[in-house]
Amino acid sequence: MTQCRFNGVSRELPESPDATLIDVIRDREGLTGAKLVCGAGVCGACTVLLDGAPVASCLLPAKAAAGRSVVTIEGIGAGALHPVQKAFMALDALQCGFCTPGFIVESVAFHDEWRAKKGAAVPTREEIAAALSGHLCRCGAYDNILRAVAEACAGRFDGGDAARSPRVEARDKVAGAAKYTVDIRHDRQFEGVVFRSRIAHAKIEALDFAEALAIPGVAAAISLLGEDRTVRYVGQQIAAVAAADRETALRACAAIKVQYRELPPVVGMDAARMPTAPEIFAGSRKSAGNASEGMAMPTPWRRNVRGPSSAFSLKAKKARNWIAAAREAGDPLLFEATFRTGAQQHCSLEPHAAVARFDGDRLTVHVSTQAVFELKKLIAKRFKLDPSHVRVIATHVGGGFGSKATLGIETVAAIELARAAKAPVRVVFDRHEELSVAGYRPGAEMNIALLADRDGRLKALSLAAHGDTGASVNSTIAALARLIYPAEAKDLSDFDVVSNLPPGAPFRAPGGPPMAFALEQAVDEAALRLKTDPIALRKRWDDNPNRRRLYEWAQGLSAWRNAAPPASKTGRYRRGVGVAAGYWLYLWQPGSKVQLSVESGRIVVASAAQDIGTGSRTVLANTIAREFELEPHEVEVRIGDSSLPEGPGSGGSRTTASLVPPALLAAQKLKQAVQQRTRREPQAGSNAPWREMIAACPDFSVSSERPEDARTLAPGVRSPLGEVGLMGHIFGWMMRRFSHIAIGAGAPSSVQVVEVEVDTLLGHVRVLEVHTGIAVGKLAAPALAQSQASGAIVQGVGYALYEGREVDLQTGDVLTAGMEDYRLPGVADTPLIDLHFDEGGFDHVLGGGVGIGEVATVPTAAAIANAVRNATGVRPKEIPLRPDRMLRLLSEGART
Amino acid sequence: MSAPMMIADGKAIELRAGGTDLSERRRSGVSRGSLIDIAPTPDMTGIDCSANGAARIGALVTIDRIANDPRIAAAYPGLAAAAGGLATPQIRRVATIGGNLAQHSRCWYYRNPHTACLKKHGSICSARGGNHLYGVIFDLGPCVAPHPSTMAAALLAYDARIDTDRRADLTIAQLLGDGANGAVDNALEPGETITRVELPPPTLGERALYKRAISRASAEWPLVEIVARAVVADGSLRLLRLAAGGVAPVPLRLAAAEAAAQGAAATGATIARVVEQSTAGAKPLAMTAYKLDLLKGLVRDLMERLLA
Ligand SMILES: Cc1cc2nc3c(=O)[nH]c(=O)nc-3n(C[C@H](O)[C@H](O)[C@H](O)COP(=O)(O)OP(=O)(O)OC[C@H]3O[C@@H](n4cnc5c(N)ncnc54)[C@H](O)[C@@H]3O)c2cc1C
Ligand code: FES
Ligand code: FES
Repeated sequence: MTQCRFNGVSRELPESPDATLIDVIRDREGLTGAKLVCGAGVCGACTVLLDGAPVASCLLPAKAAAGRSVVTIEGIGAGALHPVQKAFMALDALQCGFCTPGFIVESVAFHDEWRAKKGAAVPTREEIAAALSGHLCRCGAYDNILRAVAEACAGRFDGGDAARSPRVEARDKVAGAAKYTVDIRHDRQFEGVVFRSRIAHAKIEALDFAEALAIPGVAAAISLLGEDRTVRYVGQQIAAVAAADRETALRACAAIKVQYRELPPVVGMDAARMPTAPEIFAGSRKSAGNASEGMAMPTPWRRNVRGPSSAFSLKAKKARNWIAAAREAGDPLLFEATFRTGAQQHCSLEPHAAVARFDGDRLTVHVSTQAVFELKKLIAKRFKLDPSHVRVIATHVGGGFGSKATLGIETVAAIELARAAKAPVRVVFDRHEELSVAGYRPGAEMNIALLADRDGRLKALSLAAHGDTGASVNSTIAALARLIYPAEAKDLSDFDVVSNLPPGAPFRAPGGPPMAFALEQAVDEAALRLKTDPIALRKRWDDNPNRRRLYEWAQGLSAWRNAAPPASKTGRYRRGVGVAAGYWLYLWQPGSKVQLSVESGRIVVASAAQDIGTGSRTVLANTIAREFELEPHEVEVRIGDSSLPEGPGSGGSRTTASLVPPALLAAQKLKQAVQQRTRREPQAGSNAPWREMIAACPDFSVSSERPEDARTLAPGVRSPLGEVGLMGHIFGWMMRRFSHIAIGAGAPSSVQVVEVEVDTLLGHVRVLEVHTGIAVGKLAAPALAQSQASGAIVQGVGYALYEGREVDLQTGDVLTAGMEDYRLPGVADTPLIDLHFDEGGFDHVLGGGVGIGEVATVPTAAAIANAVRNATGVRPKEIPLRPDRMLRLLSEGART
Repeated sequence: MSAPMMIADGKAIELRAGGTDLSERRRSGVSRGSLIDIAPTPDMTGIDCSANGAARIGALVTIDRIANDPRIAAAYPGLAAAAGGLATPQIRRVATIGGNLAQHSRCWYYRNPHTACLKKHGSICSARGGNHLYGVIFDLGPCVAPHPSTMAAALLAYDARIDTDRRADLTIAQLLGDGANGAVDNALEPGETITRVELPPPTLGERALYKRAISRASAEWPLVEIVARAVVADGSLRLLRLAAGGVAPVPLRLAAAEAAAQGAAATGATIARVVEQSTAGAKPLAMTAYKLDLLKGLVRDLMERLLA
């Protein structure tokens, strides 16, 4: 029996014994709702119903479906949406949406069974989490997922009324209809695979494709070697092959003949800093990658160490002298420590992917990218094409977190292969590539010294951060300590230690979380030594008005006021509370445009921005809808296409701040124009005058560019560049000139109060509650801002406790290249999240608000560490704080 | 099933049950030979319980069924709990007990198609001199990866026997070996098929518990896991069984700890002695000393609950 029913339709199953069900569903049946993410049974993105029971289709042999029924997301709610789908929509239980089909399939099965068995009872968070434990969401939408499933089970979404969502594209995402780059399929499309180095450091002497090209089905092979023909990490791209299918392309890769001349590898910071270590980038430093969003400033190098970058210091020598004197004198108000953070992988559930197609000399590339417009320019430049002949499309993007901001190898390979093969080519990274060579937040070693004076003021701060940046530079950590807690003197220096490991990449608030991990623990320690309440001390030291309002809020929390005193903390399970503050820069992108049109009586808003799950579509819809007194879904949003008017990238929390002001300006223009052109006055007393006027208006369009912010600032609001002085202005000018990023005034801020429980017997740390105050001004889309903030916190929990890259220090292999070994937080790890938004502080920005993407993830790990210190009396110096580290910490603490 | 299964085209032939382990190795290229799907026979797909409580579980029975069978839960609660705590719901619905016992190592060097490993015909264990964060603390052979099977640890605690299409009545130690051969995950001959698992009748009045130490809340491979069974009568321990996973190349009975408990009073002092003895013979690697604490911690946790 080799038949199987897919969503009710009988189909023949393939003969191949190796075909898994996901291959059949996605590639042959074209049902692309189920996603292939981990390919290892860990993430659940590929979940389908097999005879009604959810299974991981990435592992299920297709043959096992013989004679059985398979239901995919497309088969759920095909007529009317299932209550679970409506609940996911209404409660915004999704962001990028890539994990959503899997979660929904599992939740539907759980819901149906639960209600059949338990009737009206509502499942607990624990029960739902257990049922969904085979699913991972990198955006961290868990809190709303838990709520959505509970409310669906409670029957709240049984009614037949139209499904509503605060997110405009939610319906496509819950139905599995949203098309991501990995879902694009042209006729005669080839599959491209990147051939990568097996060796950490080598010169490629010869490369021979003859045998590979001789394999039937192979369409093209190209070299991806740089000018120096040197590979500097395991997995660095050497070549790429396009073939009729992935299997053939992999066979072709195996047939490529490479002659390596091995060079001595240097893996990791310790080895790279040895005086005898060979120099990795001797003579070719330009080929190093960039781990930050801004351009790399000219900086001295000493062999494998780039640095110090210390432009953000203030009277550095004084700071050093004071600290040295305090050390000499044994001053108890000097706190010195070394903190270490691990490398954090982005692990977007949609891998890096690109599909390139030439039509004559016109190039269309679907890319999973955070910057459609910028990418168009980069592609045109690199491939010497007329920019107007290049079109970059990213309708939906399954997460990015900073790793998809530039022209990546997947795109380069797809374009070159498409050109060589004279046919469309798709390149999709597998999870091993994604978790090894597609970027990460560099680990860091931070030496901090914080000196308070007798009057309890912050006198001097010194922070030297060494980033474990592999084949990249520009980890900027220490510099960020300049813009919080003013002191008389600050000695801040950043170093990059390059070695034969893959290059880092910008990751959500690059440098922010490690900086806070060191600094906020030092401040916490100062509070202990000064016998001061840690929030009160921050209020004393921190003059930023946004955070001062958040400190007041935090002091009022009962979780803070009623925290148990440290003396009561004995026994196996110990609870503690910690606080930390964080900020991020307010960035925006000059040149961003928003076009508003009336088309057939409807408003269309367009910009070459993209939505990576952060909600830019909704931000535009809401902003315009509010102006015209419409419902957001009445506004059509066009983004994700570089042929639209220039839009901002999605990175550095700049999207909202770049889109809302020009959208508001365009709305003013459109209003005037509509009033002039409309053929019919609204009926007297109409409650929807704009709707009526627009319906009666002939087609036309207006467009506005992002204006400069108001120059007058509210008291206490400062430009961070001004704070740093001349170097700040130079830095700001360069960022604007070369990175197209403007740094605005005011500090998006977050203060978090965290409660943890430590199992001292098994070294397990559980985050119970995270109270988060956020000040980013007015919220353009409040429900989505909440989702963003919760997701940032979940990622912060992962960074603090679970997520760590492990490598082999001899070979340079990344060992945590699968999702069972690289541990993302799961649904059961979600703390109770309590969000407080303070909507002031950004009156100088048109619209009154800025982006929220990064700021909420900055203080989380630090607050967790301070809570662990409060619970156990020992201070975590290294994250992720896995059981092995927690146990060691406790036993060291017991000895001292 | 008869199977002359080694060489077809120069490569090994591998059996397939649920495919939850094998499919990942096929996709990555670690497994490349041909495949044979195990044909389901009634004998291999059922759970039979006899009047005296003994149970026979067919090799193709899924982990999910074992976790949810009320007869198993009543007679072998440690086995049911181990099954229910393993992997994820989707995996448990498809994974079989036979496949669980015969699954291959989860070592990251083994699973990476490009790195050297004894289990991939290599001559060295890369983890031993490399990164063995999740490695063993009982160093019983050249390979330092712990055996992955949770069910094997549970079956070891219950003195289960395994039948194959060629041999009957194998102990877990006979099935999986003693760890001295680093090149294999078990002592099955090529093509030899596990057909069923036999569990002896439960002991009267026993209690059993299962627990794993992990970093997240759930759905994670255990750092260390233990199945514990105890019979307490008249205030003293009549039986203690402690089988541990995650600590050795094969699941291990903690014999010294069991001996320390034999006949001893069910008191805190006994617990302390059992905890102390649980790491007897352990020899951690450079990166695995923390597992000593986890092993002791788990034993303490389980003992306190069993004697409560
Ligand atoms: C995310 C995840 C988490 C997991 N966590 C755990 C865990 O915590 N503890 C744990 O124990 N396991 C865990 N597993 C592993 C899982 O339990 C096994 O993959 C599963 O039990 C294998 O069963 P299967 O039927 O799918 O075997 P298959 O994948 O079909 O086969 C596995 C191997 O066993 C052989 N085999 C299968 N059946 C037989 C038989 N009857 N006779 C002889 N050889 C046979 C096959 O040849 C193959 O080599 C996890 C797996 C995943 C994906
Ligand atoms: S893709 Fe199947 S479980 Fe992750
Ligand atoms: S919404 Fe879950 S991964 Fe993005």
